Amino acid sequence: MFDNFLIRRDSLKNDYQGGVATGFQLAVRHANYRGVFLSLHNGYYIAVDGEEFPREVQTFEINGQSPRSFEELTTAVWEHWDYDDEAILHVAKPGGLAPGDHEIAFQQSVLAAYGYLPTDEEWVKHPPVPGHGEGSDKTPDIVTYRLPLTDNQE
Amino acid sequence: MTIKRGVSLYSYQQTQFFKRLDLEGQLREISENLGGADGVELLDEMSLHYPEPPAEFDRQWFGWMERYGLVPVTMDVFHDVLQFRDHVMTYHESAERLIHDIKLAKRLGFKNVRTLATTPVEIMVEALPVAEELDIRLGKEIHQPITLDGQYVTEIVEHVRNTGTEHLGIVPDFGIFAFRPTEVLLDWYVRHGAQQATCDLVVELCLETHYGQGNALSAIDMSRHTAGNIRSGFTRFLKTGEAEPDVAPAFALMKQLVDDNVPHHSDIDYTVMAEALLFSRTKPEELKELLPLIVSIHGKFLNMSEIPGRPGHYQDISFDYEGPIRALKEAGYDGYINSEYEGQRYWQDRTEADLADEVDQVRRHQEMLRRLIDAPLDPPAAA
Repeated sequence: MFDNFLIRRDSLKNDYQGGVATGFQLAVRHANYRGVFLSLHNGYYIAVDGEEFPREVQTFEINGQSPRSFEELTTAVWEHWDYDDEAILHVAKPGGLAPGDHEIAFQQSVLAAYGYLPTDEEWVKHPPVPGHGEGSDKTPDIVTYRLPLTDNQE
Repeated sequence: MTIKRGVSLYSYQQTQFFKRLDLEGQLREISENLGGADGVELLDEMSLHYPEPPAEFDRQWFGWMERYGLVPVTMDVFHDVLQFRDHVMTYHESAERLIHDIKLAKRLGFKNVRTLATTPVEIMVEALPVAEELDIRLGKEIHQPITLDGQYVTEIVEHVRNTGTEHLGIVPDFGIFAFRPTEVLLDWYVRHGAQQATCDLVVELCLETHYGQGNALSAIDMSRHTAGNIRSGFTRFLKTGEAEPDVAPAFALMKQLVDDNVPHHSDIDYTVMAEALLFSRTKPEELKELLPLIVSIHGKFLNMSEIPGRPGHYQDISFDYEGPIRALKEAGYDGYINSEYEGQRYWQDRTEADLADEVDQVRRHQEMLRRLIDAPLDPPAAA
């Protein structure tokens, strides 16, 4: 669902600390028709120009809080990511992205479902690695975007 | 006494996503453009600030109901069992979430709460005393390929018979009266590499089954599975050759039909063929004896198109609406049918200009509902 609209097209920017690019960011929405408890959000498959960035270098900015790791989000069990709200996905990459257009392969993983499933116990012990369709029932294929870098350095 | 019309705001999910209509705008549309529809159904996690809307929301909400002349009918709730991440939610914890949602529905004036089809009846029963105390009817959604004569309905019928409760029932989804894949889904598959020949084959198989000319599908019972789980199970079957024993023969048959009939096929052709497994093959008459259990009805549709030669009149070619509405009228149903448009997702792989118009689709669906509800019942055939 919303295959081509999960990333806002003008949202790709580098992240800077003390004038040095430390990574990049994207504005993302739910690949669903509803929101979910934030704890269910299991991270992204994201590859930029063929380079994959695992969940461990991703942080997620939502509900007015500083970016949190997906490990931290597993404890946000009573906090909700509402359907209407855009979140910012930050990806650590020393030096950031080069100017110009980038090809971004993207899949969201959210462990929301229609009740109990055979995979439940396994996913408690070993949450699936995003990018193979688990937690992506409504957008089962990886979607590719071509987006320009909108640099935001002062 | 007549069937009442409403809208599930699910229909406007894309309009909301793109921020073209907010909650009030969606309510105003129902009030102003749907020829007297007044029922509102919504999904708590789509339309509300969940789990607790701020206190000031209540006054705003009831103000809208009054200003637009609308009635809160059914609130649809969800059941994500990995919320706590360190363990799978127990039935008791699931019931606690459901009880929370029942109280939220009551707070906003809803009469009914819809649970998912897959929510075990034990969880509904644990929450039932709260529903009874608050006079909220709990309805389990019956969604294709689940059937009205399968276990999910039977266990509700039995609990009601044993206890006499008036607060437990079902929310039938008109998808149980769909009999072929919608043309907009097949177009989506073709854009993604499926052969037109496979699309023609699956429609042919479904129409033969619907009109009683073939029985290739008649032995297949998918009534204990959700459509999403069948789709993901079939994907796993294609990858690994493994499937649950009760679905494996049907999966193999769908694959065989493509192998035998479609030259130059690829995996997506199998997926298209498996759409044939997602129909309930429910007979409209089955609604009649379940009438006391019907909490409200999802008027599911996927694509309203103009009936050839009848300007301004619309139909969905993949559903039977006439038969079930006739059965509901004959049985004296006076509850709500709420429009539930689900075809928008089949247009979202293209550009923003290609998106479906949800507002117009619901208007067309309401034209059809109004026309079929108002049509006089045929007099009994002369003896």
